[in-house]
Amino acid sequence: MKSESPDLQLIALIDRVAGADEKALRELYDLSSSKLYGVALRVVGKREWAEDVLQEAFLTIWRIAGDYKATLSPPMAWMGLIVRSRGLDFLRRRASDRADLMQELDDVLSDTVAGDSPNPMDTTQASEQAWALHQCLARLEQKQREVVSLAYLRDLSHSELAEQLKLPLGTVKTWIRRGLEQLRGCMARFA
Amino acid sequence: MNIHNNPALMEQLAASYALGTLRGGARRRFETLARDNATLRAAALVWQSRLSSVAELQPQAAPSPAVWTRIENLVRADKEARAMQAARRAPVSAGWWASLGLWRGASAAGALAAVLAVVVGLNVNSRLSGQVSELSAKLTATPEIEYVAVLTDDKAAASLLVTFDPKNKTLVLKRVGGFREQADKSLELWALPPGVAPKSLGVLNADPVVRLTAAGTDMRQVPTLAITLEPRGGVPPGSGPTGPVLFKGALIETPK
Repeated sequence: MKSESPDLQLIALIDRVAGADEKALRELYDLSSSKLYGVALRVVGKREWAEDVLQEAFLTIWRIAGDYKATLSPPMAWMGLIVRSRGLDFLRRRASDRADLMQELDDVLSDTVAGDSPNPMDTTQASEQAWALHQCLARLEQKQREVVSLAYLRDLSHSELAEQLKLPLGTVKTWIRRGLEQLRGCMARFA
Repeated sequence: MNIHNNPALMEQLAASYALGTLRGGARRRFETLARDNATLRAAALVWQSRLSSVAELQPQAAPSPAVWTRIENLVRADKEARAMQAARRAPVSAGWWASLGLWRGASAAGALAAVLAVVVGLNVNSRLSGQVSELSAKLTATPEIEYVAVLTDDKAAASLLVTFDPKNKTLVLKRVGGFREQADKSLELWALPPGVAPKSLGVLNADPVVRLTAAGTDMRQVPTLAITLEPRGGVPPGSGPTGPVLFKGALIETPK
C-alpha cells in the first residue's frame, strides 16, 4: 500500500469512501486535508471560513465519491475542484448577506500580491498534470502567477481582481493576457 | 475576425473561458461557437483540466483538529439518515399498512419514519434515549408511573413529555417546547397501536400541564404516541385524525 503512487492510494481511498467506509474517509482526510485546507484558504481568505468550507467539501466528497470514477481528473485535482466550488458557494452566500464583503481583511491577499513575500507553489502530492502546470507557472513572474491563480481559484473578473488586489484594471488585464499566452506556449509542450 | 482560421485566438479564448475571465457577451458568444465547433470545445476542456491543477499547487496549511470532529459527526448523521430511509422502504405487514390510510394527507412522512423505526426495531437517537432515561430516573421515586414518552417535532426537539399512571388511569402531558397552537385549533393525542386505526386519547387544553384519563388497556401494546393539529375541540368521537402530525415518540415502559 505505502509503495503505491500517491494518486493510486488516493483513488483507492475514494473508491472505499464511495462504499460508505468511514475509516477510508478518515485516511483520505489525513492525507489531503492540509492541501485542501490550503486551497480553501486561498479561495475564501479567512481561516475560520476556510474551515467551514473544508468541512462542507468533505461532506460533499463523502456523498459523491461514487462519481469520481466517471472523471478523468487526478484525485487531488478533483477534490480541489470540490473545495473551490464549496468555497465559491460560501463567498456567494456571504456576498448576499453582506455588501461590504470586499472591504474585509483578507488573510491571504495581505501577504501575497500586495506584499513582497513570495507565495511558493507547493508540489507535495501533485499529479503529473500539476507538475506540468507548475513548470509553466514557474516561468511567470510571481505577481502574474498570483493574478492567474487567484482569478481561477476565486472565479474573479478583471475588474473584481483589480478591486481586490488594488491594482489598475489595465495592469490586471495585461498580466492575465501575458500570463495565459506564456502558459499556452509552455503547456503545448506537455500536451 | 474569423476564429476558425486562427488557432492562436481559439486557444486564447479557450484559456480565458476556462480561467473565468471571459465574461458577459464574449463568454456567451464563445459558448455558442463551442457548441458547433469540436476543436474549440476540446480546447476549452483541455484548459479546464490544466487549470484544475492550480488547486494542487497551493501551499498547505493545517486546519484545526475540530474540523475533523465536525465532519465525523455530520457523516454519522448522514449514515443514520440513510439507514432511516432504508427502513422506510423496508416491507412491513399488510395489517399495519391498512391503518396507514387514515394517516394519508396527514403529511406524515416524518411520523411514518419514526413509527417504522420503532416497528423495525431501530434505536431511537441517542439524545432522545438520554432524555428518556433521565426522565425515567426521576420517575423511579413515583412508582405508579409505568410508561413515559418524549414526543418530538420533525427536528427531534422535545416538545411534550407524557407519563401514564395505570393505577389512577391518568395521563399527564407536560409541554416543554415553545409550540402554541392558534386559538381556533387544538392538539389531540393519539395512540398508534400496530395493525389498527389510531385511537384518540384526548384533546389538550392550553395549560402547560394537561391531565387526561385513559384505561390501562388503551396504553398496553401501544408502541407510539402522536399529536396532531385539529380543529378546536378535536375531531368528533370515533373518527380518525385529520390534521398534520406535529409531534410523536415511542411509549416506553419504565424500569421497575
